[in-house]
Amino acid sequence: MVNDSLPPNQRRFFLTIILGGLSTALAVVAGWPLFRFLSPDTGGADVEIVEIPRASVDVGGAHFLTYRGRPVVVLQKSAGEFAAFSAVCTHLGCIVKWVSDPGEFLCPCHAGRFSTDGAVLGGPPPKPLEPIPVVLAGDLLRIG
Amino acid sequence: MKKQPAALIHLLLLCLILVGLPCLAAAAEETVCLQCHGGQPGPLGEPVPLWRESVHQGNGISCHDCHGGDPTDFTMAMSPERGFIGVPGEDEIPAFCGRCHVGVLEDYRASAHGQALGAGGPQCVTCHSNHRIQRASIDLINPQDCSQCHEYGRAEELRQAVSGTDALISGLETDLAELHRLGLDTEQLSGTVFSSRNDFHRLFHSVDVEKVRFKTAVFAQDLGKVEEEIAGIRDELGQRKLWGGVIVVLLVLTGLCALLIHKSYKEESGGD
Amino acid sequence: MSPLKRLVDYLDVRLGVRELVRQNLTGYLVPRRANFFYTLGAVLLALFSLQVVTGILLLIYYRPDAANAFASVQYIMNEVPYGWLIRYVHVVGSNIIVIALLLHMLSVLFMGSYKKPRELTWLTGFILFNLSLALCLTGYLLPWSQLSFWATTVATDAAGAVPVVGEMAVQFLRGGAMVGEATLGRFFALHVMGLPLLLGAVIGLHLFLMRRVGISRPPFGPEYEPPAPLLSFRHEEHPDGIPFFPHYVAKDLAAIFFFLAALAWVVFYAPALFIPPAALEPADPFVTPPHIKPEWYFLWAYQTLKIFPSKVIGLAVQGAFMTLLAVLPFLDIGPERRPAHRPLFVTCYFLGILLMVAISIWGHYS
Repeated sequence: MVNDSLPPNQRRFFLTIILGGLSTALAVVAGWPLFRFLSPDTGGADVEIVEIPRASVDVGGAHFLTYRGRPVVVLQKSAGEFAAFSAVCTHLGCIVKWVSDPGEFLCPCHAGRFSTDGAVLGGPPPKPLEPIPVVLAGDLLRIG
Repeated sequence: MKKQPAALIHLLLLCLILVGLPCLAAAAEETVCLQCHGGQPGPLGEPVPLWRESVHQGNGISCHDCHGGDPTDFTMAMSPERGFIGVPGEDEIPAFCGRCHVGVLEDYRASAHGQALGAGGPQCVTCHSNHRIQRASIDLINPQDCSQCHEYGRAEELRQAVSGTDALISGLETDLAELHRLGLDTEQLSGTVFSSRNDFHRLFHSVDVEKVRFKTAVFAQDLGKVEEEIAGIRDELGQRKLWGGVIVVLLVLTGLCALLIHKSYKEESGGD
Repeated sequence: MSPLKRLVDYLDVRLGVRELVRQNLTGYLVPRRANFFYTLGAVLLALFSLQVVTGILLLIYYRPDAANAFASVQYIMNEVPYGWLIRYVHVVGSNIIVIALLLHMLSVLFMGSYKKPRELTWLTGFILFNLSLALCLTGYLLPWSQLSFWATTVATDAAGAVPVVGEMAVQFLRGGAMVGEATLGRFFALHVMGLPLLLGAVIGLHLFLMRRVGISRPPFGPEYEPPAPLLSFRHEEHPDGIPFFPHYVAKDLAAIFFFLAALAWVVFYAPALFIPPAALEPADPFVTPPHIKPEWYFLWAYQTLKIFPSKVIGLAVQGAFMTLLAVLPFLDIGPERRPAHRPLFVTCYFLGILLMVAISIWGHYS
């Protein structure tokens, strides 16, 4: 071997560098599967459109469902008039509740209130609820 | 040394639990049918060893599943009250087997073979034999058997029409079994192949060459999808091996490197 | 002044790290002639760590209940990215650990390293061996396959042969009359929490004893002299030895990487080696699969039970054998460690190994 002509400490210097390089390569080769193993599940995030039967939303009522891995609420304001919003409060991310009596959304965490259009009625939320497209197709509601 | 006996008892118990692996319980209990007929000479005992080598035995189909009766009761085992059927007459055989093999029965009945039943036409047992029944294979269509009744020519034509798809199905079954052995989830693909196989096997009981040729395209399409998926899985397994090779080589090199470092120290300090 | 030096200074003032390093790493001298077998302890530490890491990762997706366990393992193997890799490393790793444990024990036996003053080190090591086998056995049930179910049924059933308390012992092991949901719960708790904690603690004790007493000098070569009888505690020093760090650590690392290479080779090229076909079918309590065999390291025990006409005798023979191994340092009290000067022991040693291998092969083909 070529190395044998070098004094041991010099040889060791090179060997240590090679060892470091190989260990780094191994760490990368082992790290990638680990990263992929722990990567978040897309959990249906690639599903563009969710369909639910029209009957599952009462007139003047709300229906909660999961769309792209996040909670969404569908509202039937009056017969045949639908709206959908992200159910995540824009304040600190709690899930809003539907209060049918005054007909508005209430966030149970810090009493943020939203109208049936998603607009802020009171409390700390900085922005309106994010609207989600919803259309009526026959007996089905198409969300997204 | 004082605490030693207690420690010993613990160890002993641990050992007893760990090393105890006795022989396995005997195989499943035998039905009274097998117990009695198994020891009989002549035709009454003949079916038992034949059945033991059959595909029915492998799939847990026993005497009473076809012949009826009570497999748990010596005295009433062969009583018609308990549903005993006994040996079917030759004309009754298709109905007898068709209780389970429904699709095949349907296509057979409509075929030239089925139409000729009772007039010298073949029934199930003619080609498949009875107790030592095996998984159907294309070799059942052969000059010796077919020319018992008619010229082999038309049978050969059918065999030609069937053989491609049949080989494809067997090949896919082998491939899937191999992938399953490696821990891959092949349930869905196996299901597709299994149902294609069943449909295909019932199809050629119609012994209608034109019909078989016509439908072969449909089977080829379904099976082609399975073939593609298997190729995809194979490809990924190949990739795994490639990367595995890289990792093994890297590990060996790293080990060698550490060993050479150790050696350099040894030389420096005089070694031995 | 470099930041590293400042950090070391900071720690040195508070914890005396430089002294620690000198005492345990650079100034800690180990025998110059320590051979390959001396690295097996380090290899085992690395392999156990790998089991802990892969085990925690598997826990993320594994479901410990009879209805979902098999499906969750299938999910890990087929759906989770690189789940197959993590699981194979865990499965193959457990088998490599048993191999390394056997080599470790056999080398200690051959070199007589278990002798005074290291009897307790041997005893803790023997306990570690048993704990590892218990981890194997409990881990075997978790995938809830046909193999898991029936191997566990058979293994727990053996305890029933113990007179008087046998039946109760079986029920306690299983948490019921038969292997089922309750067994899975117990084995899961033992496999992921109880046994690993115990194993960690005993490993700590084993290492403490090894470090406190000192590494034994290999009993080979012309310069080896049997030490004078030990009358009071004395740490075995090796003034002519090599520093543990970095000299010896480099050798440990080499052995660790070679073992990992072997593990990787099996994982990528023969992953089914330790996974029989019955492990691929979900557990069915009503169908006993034919030809179920225990893992290779239990084959000798399996076959012993078949040889003897009664289970009690078979169990007693196994118990006696294991007990003999456990207390060997207390029976074999002569100071001589050189194999060439212990012809009787070495003969028994090789005959014993041959017998075990033969019985295991017999068990495999019977």
